Amino acid sequence: MVDVLMCLIIFFLLASKLVSAEHFPVNLPWAMAAKEVESRELGARVTINVRKAGASDESAEYVVVDWDGQQIVERLLQPEDMEALLRSRAQRAGATGQEPRCVIRADQDVQYQHVEVVLRACGKANVAHVVFSANKLEAAPAGGAP
Amino acid sequence: MRRFEPGHETVPNLAPMVDVIMVLLVFFLLGASLDLIKQGVLQTELNEQSGPGAGVAVQINPLVRIALEDVNHGESVNIYVMEEPLGENTFDGLFRFLDARRRAGADPQNMVVIGAETTVRWRHVIQAMDAAVRAGFKNVQFAVSFRTPGAGS
Repeated sequence: MVDVLMCLIIFFLLASKLVSAEHFPVNLPWAMAAKEVESRELGARVTINVRKAGASDESAEYVVVDWDGQQIVERLLQPEDMEALLRSRAQRAGATGQEPRCVIRADQDVQYQHVEVVLRACGKANVAHVVFSANKLEAAPAGGAP
Repeated sequence: MRRFEPGHETVPNLAPMVDVIMVLLVFFLLGASLDLIKQGVLQTELNEQSGPGAGVAVQINPLVRIALEDVNHGESVNIYVMEEPLGENTFDGLFRFLDARRRAGADPQNMVVIGAETTVRWRHVIQAMDAAVRAGFKNVQFAVSFRTPGAGS
């Protein structure tokens, strides 16, 4: 019984670790139209997290959560390396007959210019399917003021 | 002092260990499955000609052009539709405008292009996209460069 319980613990430990990889802590924006999807529905994807770098609004950093063969690691991505990463992932997805997707998980307070960097890289790398992560908003905020 | 007696086997008490393991199991079970805030996605498909693409300036004729102008360094935005200020400067107002357009017979496959000043907050861009998707438009695109409305073509 103890063996079985230990196995279960290891399973859920790993599962929670994998879940946290998909749910990298980013203060996502809210959207009523956000559609809940199973991660397998997104297929071959690169998830790029865009978060504020420090207190300044002027800068942001790009984080890719990756499996390095042994564990899940967070990797900071330079804007100039983004296109190469997307291109290599697109090629890898193409080799398996899948449509590559880019999932952008951007902090709601980052400036549009920082997300634009990712969009531009997607365009250059011919990754047409772009998915934006948002928290599901159940009811419209009062007034919906900008 | 008890002496070791051959034939008697001592069995360690496993109950406390099992208790601890059960607690850990419940913790990780909840940790793996508990999602207090539901996350979703908004999908788009970049258009090779009109989207960010390779940054090539291609003249497009979208059905609806939405522009977001920064106010007070990210505090709020002014919403423009087809270069005209939106009467009701809220995202609910934008939704109602787009919804009315759809009900008037606009094709849901027609393009909605969202442009934003570089300093506009991402949440405002997503709210504009949300309004368009809720109104039934399926082809939402993003413009990379943004020219302040009224600053010339």
